[in-house]
Amino acid sequence: MRDDNEPRHDPSMPNRRRFLQSAAWTWGAVAAGAGSWVLRPTWASAQGPIKVGIATDLTGAIGYAGNANANIAKLVVKEINGRGGVLGRPLELHIEDTASNESVAVANVRKLIQRDKVDVVFGGITSSMRNAIKDVIVTRGRTLYIYPQLYEGKECTPFIYCTGPTPAQQCDEFIPWLMKNGGKRFALPSANYVWPHVLNQYARKVIEGNGGEVIFEEYYPLDQVEYSATVNKIMTNKVDVVFNTVIPPGVGPFFKQLYEAGFTKRGGRLSCVYYDENTLNINAPHEIEGLASCLDYFRAVTKDEPGSARIQADYDKQFPGPIVFAAGSAATGMYRGLKLWEAAVKEARSVGREAVAKALDHAKISEGPGGPAEMVPGKRHCKMRMYTAVAKQGTYDIVARSKGLVDPKEC
Amino acid sequence: MAPATIVRALEAGLLVTFALLPLALADFWVIFVTRVLILALLALSFDLVWGFAGIMSFGQALFFGSAGYGVALLARDAEVRSIFVVLPAAVVIGLVLSSLVAAFLLLGRNPPSLTFVALGTLTGSYAADRLARGWYYLGGQNGIPSIPPMTAGPTEIGEGRSFYYLALVFLVAVYAACRFLVRSQLGLALAGIRINEARMAFFGYRVQWLKAIVFSVAGAIAGAAGGLYAFHEGFVWPNMLGVILSTQIVLYTLFGGAGTLIGAVVGVFAIEVVSFVLADAYPTVWPVILGVLLLVVILFRPSGLIGLVLDQRARAGAFRVAVRRPRHVPGKAADGAA
Repeated sequence: MRDDNEPRHDPSMPNRRRFLQSAAWTWGAVAAGAGSWVLRPTWASAQGPIKVGIATDLTGAIGYAGNANANIAKLVVKEINGRGGVLGRPLELHIEDTASNESVAVANVRKLIQRDKVDVVFGGITSSMRNAIKDVIVTRGRTLYIYPQLYEGKECTPFIYCTGPTPAQQCDEFIPWLMKNGGKRFALPSANYVWPHVLNQYARKVIEGNGGEVIFEEYYPLDQVEYSATVNKIMTNKVDVVFNTVIPPGVGPFFKQLYEAGFTKRGGRLSCVYYDENTLNINAPHEIEGLASCLDYFRAVTKDEPGSARIQADYDKQFPGPIVFAAGSAATGMYRGLKLWEAAVKEARSVGREAVAKALDHAKISEGPGGPAEMVPGKRHCKMRMYTAVAKQGTYDIVARSKGLVDPKEC
Repeated sequence: MAPATIVRALEAGLLVTFALLPLALADFWVIFVTRVLILALLALSFDLVWGFAGIMSFGQALFFGSAGYGVALLARDAEVRSIFVVLPAAVVIGLVLSSLVAAFLLLGRNPPSLTFVALGTLTGSYAADRLARGWYYLGGQNGIPSIPPMTAGPTEIGEGRSFYYLALVFLVAVYAACRFLVRSQLGLALAGIRINEARMAFFGYRVQWLKAIVFSVAGAIAGAAGGLYAFHEGFVWPNMLGVILSTQIVLYTLFGGAGTLIGAVVGVFAIEVVSFVLADAYPTVWPVILGVLLLVVILFRPSGLIGLVLDQRARAGAFRVAVRRPRHVPGKAADGAA
């Protein structure tokens, strides 16, 4: 049944004015870009809407990623509401800015939990952000939390569900491919924070398990931009594969210096598992020609994956502009998370935390970015397809894909 | 109205408002204001060193964050979270650390310049932030999550009304102590140091020692705030030690008005409420609007928000002179008559 966003018991409001109001609302939302705080559904149900909270970094250093997350949430919610909502109730989206700043984030997430009383929270991009807000959501707030970003794993708190790739998913098939298409001598230059440490620990195990060798594993300050010593070491030690976890702002100069030293020219293989369509633009295309990445989705997948193609086309149509739909910024995990949660709510026939968690534990979706996905029962992590792609003149070519769904091997 | 009356009225008004606020507010807002009260404690510590003693400390976050990490470790590793242990511990951590920094920066052979102290404290704050990011025992970049609530005997002090009143009692007590301190002989000497350090030294005051004392006291206050904050937010992370928070503290105080104590409290409240409203209304551009707003106030009202109700002479050192003059005149007249 269709209605609009005004409560039905308000007969004093003429229809035309209501229409104008909702139109103004929509345009306001468009004008404000990614950040409208509450997106009310265009119809109502007797039980009221289901409130979905999104806490993501709309502003600050990783604002580009946060806005992509907010966009994809709007897209999915609009689609679900268009099909009649969940359990006959529409979804109401509450978007809060975590501002790439943990202290602001805690305060804003409290708004979602204590003031808006949302039924579920999606979001957080960095691990430090997840750590900052998870207590407010799960322990103190008794609400379900879904974390969408690729990360180092080991988040096993009950009622937190992770829908992005884990080290196992990014390494198990990728590293053997790198050995075949690069060589056995690996260098692990890294930024000094938690994710690279834990990822490298896993990567090293896979490298050594497959008969490869780690020549060096080094950690640099997050804002280091001068890498000539590292490049020198890579060149003199005849490293075959650079498995990089240096992040912006250092990664651009590092790749440039590596290119200028002739690493790729002599047959070296560059690889970086967070590289997606956003990060591709950091360097000139020829500097990172041949860079290999392994993620749950690349735009190139749309060529032979109709489900992904539809999502990508919808996104491009609704959000043309600089904020792109990419795996490295958690946008794919956000899509997957929302759809898995929708499936769980349908099965549970309730939005109660315990009931949804029970259903979410084995939820499945047949279509998503990169293909189907399913939760591993009891593990609160998500099985998904993984793709290996190589940078070629500023875009990606898919060179390998997992046979089925790859296990996250967590918890 | 005399400036002192205005300040007193403001203090009384705020005290009553804060005391009654939880009765009128929903849970969410009570928790929001609790956080503001804790930050006000921190701003107070900065106002003490800058507004009264003229020491530019860009490192208050260092003491705040270290105390936060300290109590987080106590709760995580030693499972100690009794308020009677953790809060004194936070104060001691702040005090010891700030005394060390003061000894290093202020008590050298030559009196340090303003810039030297500002950069020294800034460096300390930055170094601590980097250290915490790289140290895995402290959780590295990710910090220490899920700190359990403080306990007082068998009861847990969770976020909400009880924590609110705890923070308020703390703030009022510290405020009263600071107020006493700056109006004591020590406070007058500090104001003298701020206005003309060389002359105070010539008078025989041990200028650097006085500065070191007030710096340490402020560090202890920042430590107490850090301990409360860690338990209230349930989480500590490297930014709590870093330059961004240190700068934010400076902004709180300058925005409210330095050298008045109450200005620091007003500044924190104003900035936090304005950011909250802006973040709600303009989710993508609010930090820019906030920045412009801060700039405008500081440019047109260098004495801060408090400058709207108090004139320039009423601040800090000038304070006493402006207040005393009218009181003395009738006294003298009486003497003359006798």
